[in-house]
Amino acid sequence: MDPESYLYIGILFFLLGAVISLLPLPKVKNYTYILSSTGALSFALLSLHLLFATPRNLFSAQISSLFNLAFSGDAISGFFVLTISILTFAVSIYSIGYIRDLKNKGLMGFLFNIFILSMYAVVLSGNIITFLISWETMSIVSYFLVTFDREGKSAKAGLIYAVMTHIGTAFIIILFFLLYRYTGSMNFSDMKNLSSQIPENLRNLVFVFSIIGFGTKAGIIPLHTWLPKAHPAAPSNISALMSGVMIKTGIYGFIRISMDVLGQGPEWWGIAVIVIGAASSILGVMYALMEHDLKRLLAYHSVENIGIILLGLGASMMFKSNGLYTLSAIALIAGFYHTINHAVFKGLLFLGAGSVMHATHTKNMEDMGGLLKSMPYTGLFFLIGSISICALPPFNGFVSEWLTYQSLLLGFKSPSITSKIISPLGGAALALTGALAAACFVKAFGISFLGMPRNKHAENAKESSLSMIIGMGILAFSCLLFGIFPGMVLTVLQPVSFMLTGLYGTPYQQGSLLGISETFSTISPMAILITLIVMSFATIIFISSIGGKRKIVYGDSWDCGIPALTPRMQYTATAFTKPIRMIFKRIYLPRRELKVSYLVKPFFVKSIEYKGEITPFFDRYIYEPVIVFIHRIAERVKLLQSGSLHLYLAYILITLILLLIFGT
Amino acid sequence: MKNWIGAFSVIDFISVGILITAVAMNALRRLESCVKAYTLNSWLLSSLIAIVAFMMGETHLYIASFVTLLSKGILIPMFLRRIVKQIKVTHDVDPYISNALSLTISGILVAVVYTSLKEGIFVAGFSKNVLQISIAVIFIGLFIMITRKKAITQVIGLLFMENGLFLAGFSLTFGMPTVIELGVLFDMLMGVIILGIFTIQIRRAFASADLDKLTILKG
Repeated sequence: MDPESYLYIGILFFLLGAVISLLPLPKVKNYTYILSSTGALSFALLSLHLLFATPRNLFSAQISSLFNLAFSGDAISGFFVLTISILTFAVSIYSIGYIRDLKNKGLMGFLFNIFILSMYAVVLSGNIITFLISWETMSIVSYFLVTFDREGKSAKAGLIYAVMTHIGTAFIIILFFLLYRYTGSMNFSDMKNLSSQIPENLRNLVFVFSIIGFGTKAGIIPLHTWLPKAHPAAPSNISALMSGVMIKTGIYGFIRISMDVLGQGPEWWGIAVIVIGAASSILGVMYALMEHDLKRLLAYHSVENIGIILLGLGASMMFKSNGLYTLSAIALIAGFYHTINHAVFKGLLFLGAGSVMHATHTKNMEDMGGLLKSMPYTGLFFLIGSISICALPPFNGFVSEWLTYQSLLLGFKSPSITSKIISPLGGAALALTGALAAACFVKAFGISFLGMPRNKHAENAKESSLSMIIGMGILAFSCLLFGIFPGMVLTVLQPVSFMLTGLYGTPYQQGSLLGISETFSTISPMAILITLIVMSFATIIFISSIGGKRKIVYGDSWDCGIPALTPRMQYTATAFTKPIRMIFKRIYLPRRELKVSYLVKPFFVKSIEYKGEITPFFDRYIYEPVIVFIHRIAERVKLLQSGSLHLYLAYILITLILLLIFGT
Repeated sequence: MKNWIGAFSVIDFISVGILITAVAMNALRRLESCVKAYTLNSWLLSSLIAIVAFMMGETHLYIASFVTLLSKGILIPMFLRRIVKQIKVTHDVDPYISNALSLTISGILVAVVYTSLKEGIFVAGFSKNVLQISIAVIFIGLFIMITRKKAITQVIGLLFMENGLFLAGFSLTFGMPTVIELGVLFDMLMGVIILGIFTIQIRRAFASADLDKLTILKG
C-alpha cells in the first residue's frame, strides 16, 4: 500500500474512535481506545514509509486562494510520527482500564482521539497555515483535557497553560510571517530552498522567536511555568501523552524552523541552545527533587529532559557551524534518540503514576509507601522507567545520554575557542543533571513503593487492571529494547540525520559495539546487560559457595527497642532531599518556620509546627511582577470602559468628527 | 419634461427636508413624535429615490424606492409604535441635556460637516448637497443616541443613522445593486425587531427603559 492509504486509514480510525465515543452506547464506547491504538499502528507504518523514502506530499486541498490545506512528510516528520505512534499505542491500551472510574467517559474518548490526531497533523503539516491550524487545535484540545477534572486547581492550571501557549503561538505567527515575507512561500520545503534570501538580522530574529515560541510549548526554562501546573492537572493517560509527545511537537517546530528551514546558522545559535538546554536540565531536575507530588515531579523532569534534548541539538548546531559535520550528525542523533527515549520512559512513568494515584487516591508521595507489595507489576514498570530516566544501563536513557556526553566531550576538536569551552561545560551540566535525577528517582521510587504504607489508602492499594499493566508493559519493554539494541533506533535516525546534516552520522558500530569514533570510546549495551546478568549470578554463586549452606531466618526489623515500628518513623521525601536543599540553598531559597509551644520550657514540648517551602523563583520574580504590571495598566485602562453605553457612543462620534475634520 | 426637477431644485428641497426631520428630533419631547419624525424622514428618502429614478430613468431605483417605503416608511414605524405603547410608564424622551443645547450642538455638527466637505463630491451627478446632508444626518443620529436615555430612542437614532448612510451611499454610487440594498434593509428590519425585544426585556429586567441602569452589568 502507498503511504497515503496508511494516512487515511489512520485518520479514519481516530475519527471513528472520536465519534463512537460520543454515542450513547456504553458497550460501544469501550472500542474507542482499541480504534485509536489501531490508528496508531497505521500511522507507525506511514512513518516507516516517510523515514525511508523521499519527502512527499500526502494530501493537498486548495481551500481558498491563500489557504492550502496540505500535509506532507519527510524523515523528520516520519520520526515524530513514529514517536507519537509508539506512545499512543501503549497509552490507548492503558486507557481502556484507566478511564473506567472517570466521569464523562464519552467526552474523554472524543478529546483523546482528536488530541492525538492534532499532534499528527502538527508534525505532518506541509505549510504554515496548516501548521498553525493544527497547532491551535492541539493547544485548545489539550486545554480542555487539562481542565477535564473540573477541580478548582485544574481550572487555574488550564488558564495559565492557555495564556502561555498563546504567547508562544504569537511568536510563532510572527516568525512565520517573517519567513513568508522574505521567501514568498508558505510551504516549508520552498521556504527551505529560499531561506538564503532572508537578511542576516532577520534570520537571527526568526531563530530567537522560534526558541521562544516553540520553547514555550516544549517547556524550556524560564518558559516552563505552565508545565508543572498543567501536566499534573490532566488525567494521567493525558499527562503521559502531553509530557511524552505533545511537548515534543515544540521540539519538532524548533527543528523544522531553526535547523531545517533556516539551515546552518552562526555559532552563537548552537551555544544559545546549549546554554538554554543546560539551564533547563539542571533547574528542571532541581525543582523536581523538591516536589512531593508525584506528577509534578515527573512534569519537572520533562523540563529536564527537554533540556537534555536541546543539549544534543545545540551541540549539533554548534558543530555544524564550526564545520565538524560528522560530530554534528552524531550530536543530532543523540538529541533525536533522547526524544524518542523520553517519550517512552516519561510516558511509562506517568502511566505508573496514574496507576498509583488510581490505587491510592493521592498524588502526594508522603501518603504512599509500601506499594511494591500490593502493586508488583506497576512497581516493576515504574522502576524500569526510573532506571531509564536516570540514564543507567541497560535501559534506553543510558544510550542517548551517553551519546550526548560523548558528542559534547568531543567538542575539544572544535576550532573555535568558545565552543571548546562551552561544550565540556554542557557535558558537566549533563553529568550533574544525571546525578540529581538519580537522587530524585531514588526518592520517588523509594518513598512511594518501599517501606510501610503511610495511610489506609496506600495499605489497601490494589494492582491495576490488566489493560493498564499491558500498556505500561509495552513501554517498559520498549525501554529495554531501545537500550540494548541501539542499532535498531539508529537505523531509524539515519535518514533524519542525513536530511539535516547531509551525513548519515552513524556512530561507530561494530557488532554490538557502539561508539562515536573508533578511537575515542565505545560501549556495548548488550554486553553491559550480559555482564550485569552474569555478574549477579556469579555473585550469588560465589557467596553461596564461600558461605556454605545458609538458613533464612525471618524476623522483625530492628526498632531500637521501641515496641513497634510505625510508618511515621520512616524517612520522608522532605527529609530525604534535605541535604540537597541545603547544598543548593542559593537556588532554592528555602524558607522554614518552626513554631514550638512548651508546657514547661525547655523540657516538655506541647506541640511543634513546622512549615518549609522553597521559593518558586520564576513564578515569584519573573511572572508575578509582569502580572502585577499588567493588572495595574488594566486598572488605568478600565476607566475608559465605564459601562455607560452613551459614553461609548460618544467615543465613536468624537472619532468620526475628528476623522472628518482632519481626514479631508 | 424632466426640467422641472432641476428648475425647482426638487432634489435639494427633499434632502433638506431629510435634514430638518433629523434636526427636529432634538426638539421633540414625546416618543410618539420621534417615531413620526422618523416616518417622515423615511418617506422623504423614498420619494427622493423615486425622483432620482425618474430623472435618470433607472428602473431598479423604483424598486429601491418602493422597498424603502414599505420597510422604513411603514413596517418599522408600525413596530416602533407598538414598542412605544408597551413602555407604559412614561412617553417622555428624557434627554441628558436641554433641547436648546441639543439643537445648538446639532447645528454645530451640520456646520462642521459642511465646512469639512466644502468641495462636495460630485459623483452620481444629481446634487451637490446630498452628501453633506447625509453625513450630517448620520452625525445627528449618533448624537441623538448619545444624549437620550431611553433604549427606544437609541433605536430611532440608529435608524436615522442608517437613513443617512443609505443616502450617502446613494449619492455617491447612484444606488447600490438591488440585492445589496435588499440585504441591508432586511438587516435593518431584523435589527429593529431584536433591539425592540431588547428594549422590552431591559424594561422588564430593570423596571426602567433607561440605559444608565446597564452600567451595573459591568464587572
